[in-house]
Amino acid sequence: MADMKVAAYICQGCGLGDRLDTAALAGVAKKEGKAALVREHEFLCNAEGVKMIRDDIANEAVTHVMIGACSRRAKTEAFGFTDVAVSRANLREGVIWCQPETDEARETTQEMAEDYIRMGCAEVKKMTLPEGNPAAVTERSVLVVGGGVSGMTAALEASKAGYKVVLVEKFGALGGWAAKLHKRSPGKSPYAEPQDTPVADMDAAIAADTNIKVYLNAITSKTAGSPGQFEIEISTESGSTTTEKVGAIIQATGFSLYDANNLPELGYGKSANVVDQAGLEALAKAANGGVIKRPSDGGEVKTVVFVQCAGQRDDTGKHLPYCSGSCCSTSVKQAMYFKDANPDIDTVVIYTDLRMPGNGEDFYRSGQNKGVTFTKGKVSSVEAAGNQCKVNFHDLILNDQTAIDNADLVVLATGQVPNSGVDIDTKLKADIAAAAGDNSLLEAYNASQAEGAVQPISVLNLTYRQGPDVPQLKYGFTDSHFICFPYETRRTGIYSAGPVRRPMDMVQAMEDATGAAMKAIQAVENAGLGRAAHPRSGDLSFPKVRLEGCTQCKRCTVECPFGAIDEDEKRFPVFNESRCRRCGTCMGACPVRVISFENYSIDTVGSQLKAVDVPDEFSEKPRILILACENDAYPALDMAAMNRNVYSAYVRIIPVRCLGSVNTIWINDALSSGYDGVMMMGCKHGDDYQCHFVKGSELASYRMSKIGDTLKQMGLEEERVATFEVAITDIERVPQLINDYAAKIQEIGMSPLKGF
Amino acid sequence: MTDVIATNQTILVVGGGISGMTAALEAAECGKNVVLVEKNPALGGRVSQLYRYFPKLCHPTCGLEINLRRLKQNPRIRVLTMAEVTAITGGEGDYSATVKLAPRYVNENCTACGECSKAVDAEVLDAFNYNLGKTKAAYLPHKMAYPQRYVLDPSIIGTADADKAKAACKYGAIDLDMKEETVQFKAGAVIWATGWKPYDAAKIQPYGYGRFSNVITSVEFERLADIHGPTKGKILRPSDGKEAKNIAFIQCAGSRDENHLRHCSRICCMASLKQTNYVREAYGDAGKSTIYYIDIRAIDRFEDFYQKVLKDPTVSFIKSKVAKVTQDEKSGDVILHGVNTEGYHRYATPHDLVVLAVGMEPSVTGANLPAEIVSDSSGFIEADPANHAFFGAGCASNPLDVNRAVQSATASALRAIQVVNRVARVEG
Amino acid sequence: MSEKYHNNFLKEVEEMVEEGEWVKMCMQCGVCAGSCPLGPHWAHPPQEIFMMIRAGKREEVLRSDSMWMCTSCYNCVVRCPRKLPITHIMHGLANYAHRLGLSPKNQPTQQFATLFWNNLAQTGRVNELKLSLGIYFKDGFAQGVKNAMAMQSVGLGMVKAKRLNPMELFGGHGVKDKTGFHAMLKKAKEIEDRRKNFA
Repeated sequence: MADMKVAAYICQGCGLGDRLDTAALAGVAKKEGKAALVREHEFLCNAEGVKMIRDDIANEAVTHVMIGACSRRAKTEAFGFTDVAVSRANLREGVIWCQPETDEARETTQEMAEDYIRMGCAEVKKMTLPEGNPAAVTERSVLVVGGGVSGMTAALEASKAGYKVVLVEKFGALGGWAAKLHKRSPGKSPYAEPQDTPVADMDAAIAADTNIKVYLNAITSKTAGSPGQFEIEISTESGSTTTEKVGAIIQATGFSLYDANNLPELGYGKSANVVDQAGLEALAKAANGGVIKRPSDGGEVKTVVFVQCAGQRDDTGKHLPYCSGSCCSTSVKQAMYFKDANPDIDTVVIYTDLRMPGNGEDFYRSGQNKGVTFTKGKVSSVEAAGNQCKVNFHDLILNDQTAIDNADLVVLATGQVPNSGVDIDTKLKADIAAAAGDNSLLEAYNASQAEGAVQPISVLNLTYRQGPDVPQLKYGFTDSHFICFPYETRRTGIYSAGPVRRPMDMVQAMEDATGAAMKAIQAVENAGLGRAAHPRSGDLSFPKVRLEGCTQCKRCTVECPFGAIDEDEKRFPVFNESRCRRCGTCMGACPVRVISFENYSIDTVGSQLKAVDVPDEFSEKPRILILACENDAYPALDMAAMNRNVYSAYVRIIPVRCLGSVNTIWINDALSSGYDGVMMMGCKHGDDYQCHFVKGSELASYRMSKIGDTLKQMGLEEERVATFEVAITDIERVPQLINDYAAKIQEIGMSPLKGF
Repeated sequence: MTDVIATNQTILVVGGGISGMTAALEAAECGKNVVLVEKNPALGGRVSQLYRYFPKLCHPTCGLEINLRRLKQNPRIRVLTMAEVTAITGGEGDYSATVKLAPRYVNENCTACGECSKAVDAEVLDAFNYNLGKTKAAYLPHKMAYPQRYVLDPSIIGTADADKAKAACKYGAIDLDMKEETVQFKAGAVIWATGWKPYDAAKIQPYGYGRFSNVITSVEFERLADIHGPTKGKILRPSDGKEAKNIAFIQCAGSRDENHLRHCSRICCMASLKQTNYVREAYGDAGKSTIYYIDIRAIDRFEDFYQKVLKDPTVSFIKSKVAKVTQDEKSGDVILHGVNTEGYHRYATPHDLVVLAVGMEPSVTGANLPAEIVSDSSGFIEADPANHAFFGAGCASNPLDVNRAVQSATASALRAIQVVNRVARVEG
Repeated sequence: MSEKYHNNFLKEVEEMVEEGEWVKMCMQCGVCAGSCPLGPHWAHPPQEIFMMIRAGKREEVLRSDSMWMCTSCYNCVVRCPRKLPITHIMHGLANYAHRLGLSPKNQPTQQFATLFWNNLAQTGRVNELKLSLGIYFKDGFAQGVKNAMAMQSVGLGMVKAKRLNPMELFGGHGVKDKTGFHAMLKKAKEIEDRRKNFA
């Protein structure tokens, strides 16, 4: 690598030249920042300014560029140099726009700016240009686990884009749930009639597709590796085992119907004439368009009652609390089986809220038009009486406790339960607590694994340190928690699709599977280039570890939100770069600080906070370090400044990738070098967490809850370190938080550790 | 002259809301070249105008920040703002697009310093805030606007204000001679992600929108709750600026109605449930929300959110399609008339403010679609082989929530990639 | 006898009642109920009647006076999100109940409608004097005299303004071709009966 040559550029535009002494800033960059080349420019982001920098890179062998101008979030096209390391000193949003434009404030404003120049220079010197993942391998095929409509769709769509697919199905034929259906709800205009399922067509298309290799009666008995280089062991029922190499994985393992045996009050198990939706499909398939027969005696069905939300939307804690989103439409379709065969059959749907969004409204209308009767009501019980049933319910419109006395058939719309494998989070939480010295959760977990207890069967059998399956969000569904990013996954290169991720109907499942196929081929391409996946997509840096310093404490391996780090036989961490999302949680976790990224490390941040000029105890100028999440808190600070919301001139802000990447050494260093306080601003954690790296802010708050002892040892008040949850909209709250905190520090007094 | 370099391996994405941005980003992060065309001066679309999302109550701008960061560092996406597609000719793998670019009067020299805005006097309606307030005629569309460049409203061109703006700009960013331009370029596939528009509530005559100032739409209510909105996040009613503590939410305002929109717009129930949280956030136990509904469509795990709101004592539910709204001229209160159909109870209930949960109309409706496109009875673009390599995405294809719109957009990116990969295989 | 929540009565309504085939399309939103200016006077608003029909409450529906309250303002029809011709269904139900002899006794709308129709059907023209007297005296002679006295000044005023001819009491005017008119009514009834399966 060429010798490092740092150049610092200081912009005078946007009022920087008026509000700040830029010559003095240039002096700071030269003397303290040790920049070999320092230039001021009246308008750095215009073509001429940018050309000046480019020329210096080309002609002056500049390798490291520090730009003192606007926020790193602004003018990204102009300053997007990809061939040198770049740091930004935020003089505009970070200084002049958040400081009052008064003569009194001039001195502290200038001090702020000078510190940011020092910090920018210090940071850039510690950065190197990321070189990409040297271990990048590209296996461009995709594994699809589950051969239902979701899996078949994913396979066909990936193949259409030119990728090879390995499709593994547990049973002896493709089709899954859809293969059990007589017909499906309509997926196209005019949304009026049940349609044939796509199973036969898709089955034929897969058989004819040379890109797709199908394993039937098979499971994925072992999944090792990482995106671009997964190794899959496929075991078939016959006992044979094959290994396939794939680049990405789609889990489309679908759902099972909620067990209606849990609903004896609704007559299931007491009368053969009470069936679930699968039972009705079987009857309809047997009838094949003819008259559906009563199971108990083969008698003619004259009256059929559909009970919606059976064992769903349950607030007693006994059944499924959620809505399965597809059963209303299914019941309308099933009622049509009867009406289409014989319009004189009475079909009653008892519902509380009919949930058929979008063009489902047309299908609902079509059902009504065929004479299906819809009754808003709550079913309390179903009683069996001979070959008929009595359905007791409360008609909510007529406010009647009433009953349908002679139903020949009752169909319970039970919900979807995901086939998602092992819930790994209980174990993981126990491991995290154990790593912190609390073994109680782990003991409880081990007790639950006692012999004889029924355990869920793993789907993927991942060899990952954090467990054999993908993490579940809620109720066993493997969904993303992000509204904007439904394909966000905590296992890079592994995507869920269809009802295993969220209850859904066939139209949605096919759309979802197509999206998952998109993400899978993207994962393959990015892994090949050594690039990070979302949300730091394109990032070429990846964690480097000095194993010789590692104490095998396992914190990085258990805390990584993405399960990227395994352990070798000697319990040293094994980094799987293409699983890594570059959040830095491992770096924050490491007590011996052996983990770093090329462009983000203990040193890039540590050197910045040490570069700040901390005035002495008697200056009455405290210094407060703010470590702000770059995803939400930092933009909020920028926008507060755009609104000219003023905050204390004593703070120095360093953006971090995630609070999870904050290593306590930074806090120790800051406090021991005389800072009076440290504020950490991260995203909301808890159930509705907003951390883009899932666990980062939660882990940070967990770690910070333990910092009290350190503070005590240093003889400092515990208020000197504070953590805040900040949202991107907090443009008025954030300045207030800062000012309140500065006032509190003033109250506590200056740190006694200055000047040591 | 703006040049756009594109080939028939380029993917054209029309619409820069969350669906269009997602489609563009997913394709570009898979190594494809994309041209992203947005009608407004900034990306972000309708979700950037929301205060919070259901069910997490997180802020849409948080995801926008991530998407913008992805976009800023991805050289494969060419963004055209203030741009509208006027024609698409050709066929699958070989389209030719004509795009009209409206003049922004501000070039890329703009640093977003804001001096032009300070210099001009004229104010125009603030479109970002659904015209609930005004903004200077030289404006940044919103705080997270990308491109981060000001816009001069065409109404001031030729006036002294325009000259003042030009004089205030030290960076030569204001170009008053900018003219409308037309550019043409090639594309292998087209993703149409033009989103939705709120159904015109004035057409629902009995609800009095447009006649009664205290009847507003759900999208307008989002702006009232937002810190960047016209009331800086305070829920105040338009007639007198009084704190609106007792708020009625009318569901299916336009949706599920053959006189208006035939379809169910899917999101409105959840949106109103979410908005009851805004009332609680602002007024605590002193707030009061009433939801008038036909069916509460809190589908799948959104049910959790519904159950949570059901337990909130400040929120009540009335199963009723409201028949009529009147406004008391003196008090400004709005009175809802109708019948609670659960057991037949007639009501005439006063509220401080009425929020109409307006339905989703595809923005395709009324647009001059540049090709023969198969759409459903509501005007949403269908997935149909006859549409060739022209794919609907997000709310242009179906009334969808954000999550599902993004899934749809991701799927559409793959469909487009399938086409351009085929082209690439043929062309080598 | 119609069974609860079985479609017998709904089918009966579909077959026998004017526009009855629309009843199944109601989605119970209640906008008709809230839109009716006579709403507070109904025991059962339209949407509830429709639900009762589906629930098989034949007697309750047909004996109800609710549908007799409809004044044909059409508010419900223009607002119904399912475009049900509610006004027509209400009249259809009333008519059907009347034919079956189930309609409530002494229901004023029904009484007026019967008087009006019988009055009109005789000569092809409404004899306003006979019609008013018919209404005045419907509750007996004494009450009739009382009613007539109360309306005396209105009556005299109308006579003065040549709006009322006292001679109408003795026959009054009619259409030219009464035989043709009666034949027309008969034919119309036949058509209607055929359409809704009356015989």
